[in-house]
Amino acid sequence: MDTNHIVLIANRGEIAVRIAQACHRLGIGFACVYTEEDAASGHLQVARELGGALFRVSSYHDANEILSVADQAGATAVHPGYGFFAEDFRFARRVTTRDRKMIFIGPSWQVIQALGDKINTKRLARSLGVPTVPGSDRPIYDEQEAEKIARSLYEFQLQQGVAHPLVLVKASAGGGGMGIEEVYDIDQFRSVYRSIRNYALRQFKDEGVLIEQRICEFNHLEVQIVADRTGKNPVHFGTRNCSIQSTGRQKRLEVAPGFAPADIKYDFDAAALLDTITSHSLKLAQKVGYDNVGTWEWIVTRDGSPFLMEVNTRIQVENGVSAKIARLNGKPGVDLISEQIRLGLGEPLGYTQSDVSLEGFGIEYRIIAEDPANHFSPWVGRIERFSWEPQPWLSMHTHVPAALDGTPYDIPTEFDPNLALAIVWGADLAEAKARGHAFLDSLVLEGHDKDGSPLQSNVAFLKDRTDGILRFA
Amino acid sequence: MDIEKRAQHLTDRLSYIRDIFVGRNGEIIDSLGVRLDSFFQNLADGSMKSPLEELVQLEKGFDEVERLLDSSLTPMEKVRIVRHPQRFCLRDILENVYDNFTEIGGQDEHSIDPSMVIARATITRHQGKKKYSQLIMVIGQEKGHGEEFRNGGSVKPWGNAKARHFMQVAETENIPIHTYVFTPGSFPVEDYPGAAQQIASNLYEMAGLSVPIISVISEGGSGGAEAIALADRRLMFSHGYYSVISPEGAAAIEGRLKGGARATPELIAHCAERLHMTAQDNLNFGYVDRIVQEPCLGARPFHYDFFRTLRQEVIRATDEAVLGARGFSPMRRLTLRRWGRDDTNMDEVFLSWNLSDSAREKLVAKRQKKFLRLSKGACWDRRPVLSRLRRNARESWDSLYARVKFELYTRHRQRISNFMNETLSMAVWLRDRMLYPITRKPVGPRLRPETVRELTTLSTWKEEDESRKGRWAYVSPRAREDRTVTCPNAATHGCLDLWAPDLYGEFAGVCTTCGHHFPMEYQWVVNNVFDADSVREFNAEVEAANPLNFPGLGESIQKAKEKTKLKSACVTFEARLNGIRMIVAMLVGPFRGGSVGAAEGLKFVEAAKLAEKKRYPFLAYVHGTAGIRIQEGTHGVIQMPRCTVAVRRYIEAGGLYLVLYDTNSYAGPVASFLGCSPYQFAMRSSNLGFAGVGVIKETTGIDVPPHYHSAYKALSRGHIQGVWDRREVRANLEQLLLTAGGRNLYYR
Repeated sequence: MDTNHIVLIANRGEIAVRIAQACHRLGIGFACVYTEEDAASGHLQVARELGGALFRVSSYHDANEILSVADQAGATAVHPGYGFFAEDFRFARRVTTRDRKMIFIGPSWQVIQALGDKINTKRLARSLGVPTVPGSDRPIYDEQEAEKIARSLYEFQLQQGVAHPLVLVKASAGGGGMGIEEVYDIDQFRSVYRSIRNYALRQFKDEGVLIEQRICEFNHLEVQIVADRTGKNPVHFGTRNCSIQSTGRQKRLEVAPGFAPADIKYDFDAAALLDTITSHSLKLAQKVGYDNVGTWEWIVTRDGSPFLMEVNTRIQVENGVSAKIARLNGKPGVDLISEQIRLGLGEPLGYTQSDVSLEGFGIEYRIIAEDPANHFSPWVGRIERFSWEPQPWLSMHTHVPAALDGTPYDIPTEFDPNLALAIVWGADLAEAKARGHAFLDSLVLEGHDKDGSPLQSNVAFLKDRTDGILRFA
Repeated sequence: MDIEKRAQHLTDRLSYIRDIFVGRNGEIIDSLGVRLDSFFQNLADGSMKSPLEELVQLEKGFDEVERLLDSSLTPMEKVRIVRHPQRFCLRDILENVYDNFTEIGGQDEHSIDPSMVIARATITRHQGKKKYSQLIMVIGQEKGHGEEFRNGGSVKPWGNAKARHFMQVAETENIPIHTYVFTPGSFPVEDYPGAAQQIASNLYEMAGLSVPIISVISEGGSGGAEAIALADRRLMFSHGYYSVISPEGAAAIEGRLKGGARATPELIAHCAERLHMTAQDNLNFGYVDRIVQEPCLGARPFHYDFFRTLRQEVIRATDEAVLGARGFSPMRRLTLRRWGRDDTNMDEVFLSWNLSDSAREKLVAKRQKKFLRLSKGACWDRRPVLSRLRRNARESWDSLYARVKFELYTRHRQRISNFMNETLSMAVWLRDRMLYPITRKPVGPRLRPETVRELTTLSTWKEEDESRKGRWAYVSPRAREDRTVTCPNAATHGCLDLWAPDLYGEFAGVCTTCGHHFPMEYQWVVNNVFDADSVREFNAEVEAANPLNFPGLGESIQKAKEKTKLKSACVTFEARLNGIRMIVAMLVGPFRGGSVGAAEGLKFVEAAKLAEKKRYPFLAYVHGTAGIRIQEGTHGVIQMPRCTVAVRRYIEAGGLYLVLYDTNSYAGPVASFLGCSPYQFAMRSSNLGFAGVGVIKETTGIDVPPHYHSAYKALSRGHIQGVWDRREVRANLEQLLLTAGGRNLYYR
């Protein structure tokens, strides 16, 4: 491949470190950005070691500044990481259509736009027969129509044996949990509908609402898709189960693959279900011409019905756990970030689905300074010691300098307090669990806040949850 | 003693002459001064044989010189005459023309606005021994011989509101109104109400006021004059001026002066001349009906014979207006002809000024038609005669068709269908009720397969409107530049710089952080608000011209035509909005600032007429307007009452007249045919008001606070009914078309 590329890494922390390492491995140049508050982050250190240029910016959110830095660095491509600009089709469009054009390492902006719109995704899915959450797939503006849908959803759930049916009313233009309310009594529907409609009109200047079944008790599964710029031959790298989350619905522990039909008994045919969601995901990817890495998010109910929720058009935090169990032509050591960069720069995929196989189980722990007992409230202070026993079955991704060279590290308050990702692998589920316990037991994470109280972390929470992975709780 | 007083009077006359002729006729005036000085000298040392004789000679000499000077008055000198503190005022007229009067709505400085005087006056006419007292409402600006609180006759918005109120009183009492125009222009403040808003309201009122209105113009400065001058008969004093703008204002615009710089006297005089603002000019144009002759060098309070003439003139004018409305019996026709022609003493004949209901209607219709006829020749109408005829024929057919369809067919059809639906609904109910025991449904959920299918498979969705979100049919050429734009609110709202292709493309010129609206091209609205391919322009062949041969205007009009590829600042077209057909008159900012002249007025009036005939809603989309095109002089300013009349006729015919402001919209048009709409809306990008910040500072000395003309301020003043986001215009307009006014629209 052409190694004259320079990739600007428009992100921070752990993902910036991993992108820098991937570029280094691919033999291409890179440049990093950092803000004043973030000057102690480990990604600067890695950049210095690997010979990447460093630029200070006033904000990771200002596209103007990021792009002028990219020009200054002579970058030919921009990698957005996750968060920030990762799913911003306007940023992608700007990068690729400005006078000095660059490559956006991610799907093309048209794909990001098409799949960034939940209604559009749902309609695309339905047009292909991909199952989605029952309910409307277009904004409803008429009160009587809305009530009719809500009533039939209610009856539909009763027929399906749901004891306490719930209907969700969502502002169709909303997002991020805003403007969503649950209806448990159908006679209440009109008043809820009106309040959401008025809220949507005020907030989003659009009174359309979506009416959907509220699904309770489900597992959160993901399908990892990889495709090259032709968008014609996507492959999947298996599934992940991301059901273990904090109270704020933030993922804490991910397992690949999504179910363990050989070890655990389910109420449904789990192996067939995994096949179903991967084939559905590939079908949709092919339809939209998906041309980079991405994640198809599914929810699976207790009785084994899958529903496509949304598509994340970016590399995800938990990509490493899928890579851990993946074998390409039988060989381990798959790196999805390197793949993303390679394919993003225009290289052909070079393999087909039959060349990809999965082996064993991977568990990813997100190690975070927080208090799980107290609504996962973040802990802020100085990390003094951060170490673990290296193992051939363990990979650690961190930007905390205490782990890299022992320098104490003040957790910046501006960003999420994610400290490290630990990925363990086992040939079977029992081994993976045992190694997970062993790793967590060997982990040393110490520090104090400015009052002298000791560091709080979610390690005990992760250990507690390790035993029950891949089971319907 | 008497002699001294008379001599002193001559001193006043001399200083008056000196004031009028600045830097001209110096020799003649000086010799007059020398004669007067020597007279005083001789008077003092008693060397005169007959001082009275000498004085009479001297007075004759004054008369002669005044007559001589009067024959060569320049327009600028007329302006000085009109503004001179010695010129007669409204109170002089009240005292000398009317037989009795009571000032209402204030006394001297104890008034909501001392520059607007209202009085109830009487005129007593007698025939033989019989006396007839006739009541009049007199309204006019009062300059008060320079009294400071009169503000030079520059009326504040609430002064105009007072005038409008008493016009309504006169209408209730069915008595004629005499208005006297003594104003250099309106006081351009934006208060509660704003200047433009109030003048528009006055014009709209007068366009349909059902009592005779006679107005007499001494100093007629633009909008301030129009606020009380939309009349059945318009008279003008021979030394007055009536103009779109004061000569100083015109000079400031012509000389492109900025920041308190003053125009040279030569330029001002030049503009005064080029604006064709004298009584004779306006009589020739047809904008006044008659000239009231003044004594040489203009009337002053001591010219009692002048007031007698004026009395005769206003009585005759009122009689004419009344007769015109009453219908023409042969006797009246004969009388009218005589009264108009010879010098009948109007005090000795009698005509009742009370009008019957039908006469009042006729009066209004006549007034409206009179204004609609004006200024036809002041633009370049290149519509081929044949196509014009064809068009007229088609419009008449449309009008007939609409009448038959809506008044006969639609109404009856609706009645029948209502009856059928009701009957059907009752029958179904009865059937269900009778069959209930047989068809009773089992209890419990019973879901049909198609319902399940509806919940889980793709529904049909007409994405027509949704598809426009962020994907605009027209994208500004500015969206092709790879550059960033800083929002003016960046310092206060923390807006990040916006990338031009996003800002001018997808964001429709709206800052995503603070909602600031950057001005956009008119094409944006034309292409993104109306249905695709539904816009059909008409009357494109009417072109802006240079009716006064104002130096330089011809070239700049030509330049504007080339730049914009348009023929005038007003584009009229038919369009559809989600299927609803409508007529749109658009004022285009880039064409000479969107200024309105005779061509624009003609197109606007024709558009309003067409909308009325076709029963379409009528939208005035103001992309931007800087005001009346001053270089067209009164041809421009007459568009204010003219278009207001057109709008009023349209609204009263049951239409829906909407106004939408987009960018900067100021002055005459806003103060008349735009500002009078009951449904005015502004985009956040618009600024609207009467005069710009610079003019306000210049004329009033007031430093205006920031955002003085912003759309939100206009909303607070009650000028507009709402402020719209540009991206919502289509939806808001549609909503408005379906919910607002208009009893006679084709789609109702």
